[in-house]
Amino acid sequence: MTNFDWQPLLLTLRLATVTTGLLLLVGIPLAGWLAFTRFRLKPAVEAVISLPLVLPPSVLGFYFLLAFSPTGFLGAKLLSWFDLRLLFTFEGLVVASLFYSLPFMVHPVQAGLENLPASLREAAYTLGKSPRETFLRVLLPNIKPSLLTGVVLSFAHTIGEFGLVLMIGGNLPGQTRVASVAIYDEVELLHYDTANVYALLLLAVSFGILLAVYAINRRWVIF
Amino acid sequence: MGDILMSTIHLHARMNLLFASGPAPLEVDFTLKAGSLTGLYGPSGSGKTTLLRILAGLTTPEMGLIRVDDQLWLDTERRINVPTQQRNVGMVFQDAALFPNMSVRENVQFAAENRRDPIVEELLELAGLTSLANRKPATLSGGQRQRVALIRALARRPRMLLLDEPFSALDFETRAQLLSELVRLHQRFGTTTVLVTHHQEEIQRVADRFIKLERGRAAFIEPSAKAQPSIEGVITALRPEAGLAKIQIQVRNEQFTLEIPLNPSEWRLGQTVRVLMEPAVPVRKLD
Repeated sequence: MTNFDWQPLLLTLRLATVTTGLLLLVGIPLAGWLAFTRFRLKPAVEAVISLPLVLPPSVLGFYFLLAFSPTGFLGAKLLSWFDLRLLFTFEGLVVASLFYSLPFMVHPVQAGLENLPASLREAAYTLGKSPRETFLRVLLPNIKPSLLTGVVLSFAHTIGEFGLVLMIGGNLPGQTRVASVAIYDEVELLHYDTANVYALLLLAVSFGILLAVYAINRRWVIF
Repeated sequence: MGDILMSTIHLHARMNLLFASGPAPLEVDFTLKAGSLTGLYGPSGSGKTTLLRILAGLTTPEMGLIRVDDQLWLDTERRINVPTQQRNVGMVFQDAALFPNMSVRENVQFAAENRRDPIVEELLELAGLTSLANRKPATLSGGQRQRVALIRALARRPRMLLLDEPFSALDFETRAQLLSELVRLHQRFGTTTVLVTHHQEEIQRVADRFIKLERGRAAFIEPSAKAQPSIEGVITALRPEAGLAKIQIQVRNEQFTLEIPLNPSEWRLGQTVRVLMEPAVPVRKLD
């Protein structure tokens, strides 16, 4: 077996962990807002969040490429204000993954919140609890299966990212050479046995995660 | 135990209700006496729940004024609308709305000002729930759940207790039991209470006053002696030594046996008697 390396796999896991962690912080409040808002443009917001579900990753990657480019408006500002480069860097992959996997966090959480009886929220309000406290102490603890689904889907979807990474990340070892890219790379070099190891490991990890989720969720349904 | 709040509540509201049959106006204007227990009934779709929600601040009417003692909770003309959280109402929902992630005790603690408030244990005790305090709501029966919802609503020492058909899904006996418990708690705390129901005859023995809501209008009905509910039954057994008799009664197509005090020398088996129901006496099924 030629040049097998753990690095791409570890990088993939690191990318998926960081992305999922940040998505929890961003996605849950967003899902909460969407579940209860009466904002007139809510459908437009929902459509934007869901775009990555239907767009080819290369389209998303293409626009990120333009936006993150040091000569582009956003890229230039980030560079001059924060000294932050998003093109061909790990940070760039994280930012792109946030958008790419956002619907996978927002949808299950939003659906979980919308399926709770309205009386839970109203009861907490009549007990003097603020919307924030109600959200944290009453609503979120009662949608644990949805939260778990959101976490796992975001994590798994980020592991499966390929086209987007190729567009804005390239193939820099330790920076942007994630497992899916490594597989493609090894196949190009006709190193089928190395590609196979990466592929098998990804397959095993993905299957293991999903298996754990279904097993846990089955227990939670009963409470 | 903290001070008991008895509040006089004045409500004047107008709003359009939307039903499958089309829009219907709701216009009400009434005052609830401090410490009273008012029964609110009317056909479904007459706006009973909407009225409670307006009082709780969960629904805002097109035009409305709510005054609780000398506080203004709602005045649409002056754009005053105190949010639900600050109105200090206790509300019991039809589905109990217990928080599934919290135990019985935690549900009540969540409502109290602080977790160690002695009112939590007192209420659990009063409702006979101490032994179930560590159970999750999902493991309770319907009647137990409503009992928890009732004491949870009281744990905040509300100025007004609103009950939205809380017992309607329960069987006859449990309903009667919970009504007596409600009366006991009402006597203990004196909270001004509104109870929505469609079993008008049941609350006749517990409520001070009734509001009948029909076609969007509210009418007060003072309970009169005539309105005191009674049950007719046939004597099936006499126990002269105890001064008791068993009578067979029928309630909504169900047969029950009641034991009542009776002077046996004046009555014979098979005779029909009419029993006046005292407030807060639960009807107990013997067989």
